[in-house]
Amino acid sequence: MPAYTIAMARNDFRSTGPVPRSTPAPGGLVCVGRILGARGVRGEVRVRSHTADPRAIGRYGPVYTSDGGRSFRLTVTGQGTGAGAGTVFARLTGVADRDAAEALKGTELHVPRNALPATGAEEFYHADLVGLAAARSDGPALGRVIAVHNFGAGDVLEIGDDAGSVLVPFTSAAVPDVDLAARRLVVAPLPGLLDAAEAAPAAPRHRRRQRRGGRQ
Amino acid sequence: MARSVWKGPFVDGYLLRKAAKTRASGRNEVIKTWSRRSTILPQFVGLTFGVHNGHKFVPVLVTENMVGHKLGEFSPTRTFHGHTAGDKRAKRAPAAPAP
Repeated sequence: MPAYTIAMARNDFRSTGPVPRSTPAPGGLVCVGRILGARGVRGEVRVRSHTADPRAIGRYGPVYTSDGGRSFRLTVTGQGTGAGAGTVFARLTGVADRDAAEALKGTELHVPRNALPATGAEEFYHADLVGLAAARSDGPALGRVIAVHNFGAGDVLEIGDDAGSVLVPFTSAAVPDVDLAARRLVVAPLPGLLDAAEAAPAAPRHRRRQRRGGRQ
Repeated sequence: MARSVWKGPFVDGYLLRKAAKTRASGRNEVIKTWSRRSTILPQFVGLTFGVHNGHKFVPVLVTENMVGHKLGEFSPTRTFHGHTAGDKRAKRAPAAPAP
């Protein structure tokens, strides 16, 4: 069965649930980091990088604030270690002292979606997949793509709406059509994939207890 | 010989039977299971399991390099509160062997 897989550098294991997403910001911006605070007295900042390679945050050209009102040329000067490996130290143009750096604390940094390198055949950015409308191949809509997970066994799309979500393996068998231009994808549900949990057979634990003479 | 080697891998019997039945039928269906403790055997390669994480069934497409691990390892039970990388991308992988 052909499968789509996602090249990941970090945060390989994600669970389901209400997770902050890397969604494209309005205006086609993609969030690539957040300023944590100042570092030193010469205007350096600490940045939590939201790129697969933390140092890649400086490779996509100028970075913009959420509203697109300010832009900076970001130069990475160092990287944290251990638990702080996802943090980089950087200089921003126009930020020359600690006061100016501290004033930027909490600012999210974005790059235009078209600044990201082109993907190869059958490659998709998470930022492109999240938000796509999903429909079954036989018609009914399933909602939108909420997130893309990878728990170590292939990529999984979380699709749903306010009522709930389902997990669909991101394989060409289960997701035969991804149309980024039309912002939609088609799910060909494998038997048993989209059934409600209640419809599944009862857990065997109860039967095991009965055999052992435990709780009935 | 280590005790764990001598005893062999553990798999719930009913799961083994369901996997054999699905493989024999040739249907590409999701095998729902709560048996997170079962070891992934070579005959599971190519099958798709729905492994319960206490909340929902996480699709697990079994590949060769997963043999020997437990099913539960691929269906985390905790919620990750973090930020997905903005430049993360997907690409088509080599085709998995048919069940």
